[in-house]
Amino acid sequence: MAEMWINMGPQHPMTHGLWNLRVKVDGETIVDAEPEVGYLHRGIEKLCEGRTYPQIIPIADRLCYGSSMTWSHAYCLTVEDLMGVEVPERAEYIRVMTIEMQRIASHLMWLAAYAGDLGLSVGFTYTMRDREVFVDLLQGLTGSRLTYNYPRIGGVAHDLPPDFGRDAIRATRYMEKRLKEYEDLFEGSKIFMMRNVDVGVLSKEDAINLGVTGPSLRASGVDYDLRKDMPYSVYPEMDFRVATHSDCDCYARYRVRMDEMWESCRIIRQAIEKMPKGRWRVVAPRNAPVGTGVGRVEDPRGEAVMYVVGDGTDRPYRLKIRSPIFVTVSAAPKILVGYKLADVVAIMGGLDMCIGENDR
Amino acid sequence: MNLFEFCHGIIHWLVDLVNNVWYWLGDFLPWYFWEFFTAVGDFAASESHLTLMTILLETLIIIIVALINVLNFLWIFRKLSGRILDFYGPYYVGYRIGGWLQNLADGVKLFVKEIIVPAKADRLGYLLAPIIFVGSSLLILAVIPLSVDFGVATNASGEYVPAGAVFALAAFSIAPFAILLAGWSSNNKYTLIGGMRSAAQMMSYEIPLILSAASVFLLASSFNFVDIVDAQHDVWFCIPLFIGFVVFLVCLIAEVEIIPFDLPEAEAELVEGWTTEYGGMKFGLFYMTTAVRSYAGGALATALFLGGWQGPWFIPDEIWFLIKAYIVYTVFMWLTWSVPRIRIDQMLVFGWRRLLPLAVLNLVIAVAVKSWGWV
Amino acid sequence: MSEGGNAGRVTGASIERAPSKVGDDSEFRVLRTLAERFPRTVSEGTQVRPGLLRATVERSDLFGVCRVLRDELGFEHLSMISAVDYEDRFEVVYHITSYQHRLFLELITATPKDDPSVDSISSVWGGANWQEREAYDLMGVVFRSDPKLERILLPKDVLYHPLRKDFRG
Repeated sequence: MAEMWINMGPQHPMTHGLWNLRVKVDGETIVDAEPEVGYLHRGIEKLCEGRTYPQIIPIADRLCYGSSMTWSHAYCLTVEDLMGVEVPERAEYIRVMTIEMQRIASHLMWLAAYAGDLGLSVGFTYTMRDREVFVDLLQGLTGSRLTYNYPRIGGVAHDLPPDFGRDAIRATRYMEKRLKEYEDLFEGSKIFMMRNVDVGVLSKEDAINLGVTGPSLRASGVDYDLRKDMPYSVYPEMDFRVATHSDCDCYARYRVRMDEMWESCRIIRQAIEKMPKGRWRVVAPRNAPVGTGVGRVEDPRGEAVMYVVGDGTDRPYRLKIRSPIFVTVSAAPKILVGYKLADVVAIMGGLDMCIGENDR
Repeated sequence: MNLFEFCHGIIHWLVDLVNNVWYWLGDFLPWYFWEFFTAVGDFAASESHLTLMTILLETLIIIIVALINVLNFLWIFRKLSGRILDFYGPYYVGYRIGGWLQNLADGVKLFVKEIIVPAKADRLGYLLAPIIFVGSSLLILAVIPLSVDFGVATNASGEYVPAGAVFALAAFSIAPFAILLAGWSSNNKYTLIGGMRSAAQMMSYEIPLILSAASVFLLASSFNFVDIVDAQHDVWFCIPLFIGFVVFLVCLIAEVEIIPFDLPEAEAELVEGWTTEYGGMKFGLFYMTTAVRSYAGGALATALFLGGWQGPWFIPDEIWFLIKAYIVYTVFMWLTWSVPRIRIDQMLVFGWRRLLPLAVLNLVIAVAVKSWGWV
Repeated sequence: MSEGGNAGRVTGASIERAPSKVGDDSEFRVLRTLAERFPRTVSEGTQVRPGLLRATVERSDLFGVCRVLRDELGFEHLSMISAVDYEDRFEVVYHITSYQHRLFLELITATPKDDPSVDSISSVWGGANWQEREAYDLMGVVFRSDPKLERILLPKDVLYHPLRKDFRG
């Protein structure tokens, strides 16, 4: 068969969103690839310039439907850096707990999509069902299921409901049981291992050079986690380990995310046990000073950075959002070339695409 | 009374009725038409014509029964998927019978849809592919008897089509051509790749399938389903030919294109594979025919390896046959939802390097078993 | 992947403890080296808070500074490129990360309004390419000798750069 270009997208089951991956195949082997993004560009950065600082929190939520809490937290962290607001300790613990819950929910959604990509329907439905546990917890806390609008500049919106800590600890215990079952389900399957091991190898040097971050970077053997290496919030108080893997392939990416879920369960429990009493919010000033602020958090998908420029008014002069997936996608051609067409879904699924934050 | 006698009686009665009307009509005409009328009436009443019509009626009945079973299969597929995948499955249409009517409702919906042919598609091939696919799959069903008495027999003593098993396997392997035709004529890259994959897959899994079936023919010394099932009176062939049985099941999964071997329509990478450009009832035919082939596969495995309609007396033979076919299909479904999809190169390697040697080994075992007379 | 099957079941097997190295003296080494190597163009090197540095560089030496940062000072990762439209200038802000020293550097370059162009650093950090394309797309800053400088988020036939302050939708 002659070489031909195939448009995988914008309407394609592999894409999990609205983007286009053009692959050039020779028979079934990929010889070239070219991602095209921008189909979901909503102009959020421009939109934010016309909103006051608190009004941007719901917009930041909508950057990624899979990890909205992380994004609003990143935004609040950035603006607190700009305004110089000190957050009460209880609020920090609540934030850490909620973003770790969000991380588990996001990883579970990734696992569901990944299993669906590989044709493992059981994996899809079971992981989505167990994601409900954490989504329900966050719903009980914040009132919504997907875009929570919970962090505030200078704290969180409101205190924990009664018995929330007990429910959350119970949820993590349940989750750990289920994680064991998932490991049996996925790694016990010979076909799953055949589809993952030695597929989509991204070497350590390439991963660093191409700016890949997050679980994909750690799966390439780089031990770098912002929670550990550039700690923000109260992560220094937490006892957890950074999941890394040296195989650089899709299995390593899967393994790193599974390990992160284990660690997130531990962090949630520690946060609840160590949570002090006290205020959960301080009043932030209405106007930001002239200057800049930068905030970096470890998103479930990688390194999320926000850069805000204040001009003395109540609206940001400029808000720049660094989406981890935006840079990771640009590395896709490097990973894809040489593999089979069926590996595209494994590789792109293993990178955990989220087009909402990619196109902003 | 077997199916042939039953159908022969109906046909005989019908022909007599029609002939009476025919001669009565002829009485109104002048005498020089009478010879023509008599010749036609005699031909209609002749035994060869009656046999032909009987076989057609038998085939119709067998296929209707089979299609009802296919509806059951689709229903089992949906309900079992629901049970395994943690959702309800159909339950609204036909509430009191567990949503059984949902497939009929879907069929009606598909029937009223417009027939759309893509502008740059090869129109003839595009429209011909579903017909070939459905026709070849229904051919399989026509030769598989559900019991000694319930099959398409050719005379009153219940003799079936000679070499019916070979005919079934041959009909089974027409489908790749239809799929390749569908993939090619749709003029779409995904369908083309799906068609190519399907051709490669079915060719490479056809050989172990037929080799493991050949071991059964060897043991039974016959190509006829009745003889094959009778030969399993003492021990089912799945016990001495266990390797062949497993190879046969694996190849069947590949032939009916369900996960883990549903590469030609792998929805994650090829949208819907070779069915991407098909809509309406053309897609409905493909969908139905997949279930038809699952039923045919289950029936073949039952007849060749699981003792066919043999079982304790308190359940009729036909029901025994269907129960076994259903169990085979259920095992297929169970497998389908428990494993991911395999990759095309891994699949071909698996077919040529694992299944084919195993099938040959199984053939050797069959020769040994036969020559020492263990079965 | 050396072992198949259920390898890696034990979570501890694949995880190593990473000691935090924030706040060692390499921060000052970075600022000192930059000031020594580029005395005329690099200015205002400060430590904003532990782990976060800030420096300003003139655009003529941007590429050289980036090369030095990557090759000699261990800044392996380009986190973010942001273009900011001020009244009198465009600022291109590079946020650069050092994995080995756990440092974060904010490198600011200014470019005049009538000629918004800086050197491309895609050859230094491969991950910079798409971010440069994004900055060009939304802000209209030209990155010279970028391997593929075209619009990425907006359609190719759009005539404006929407993040500029003089843009009125």
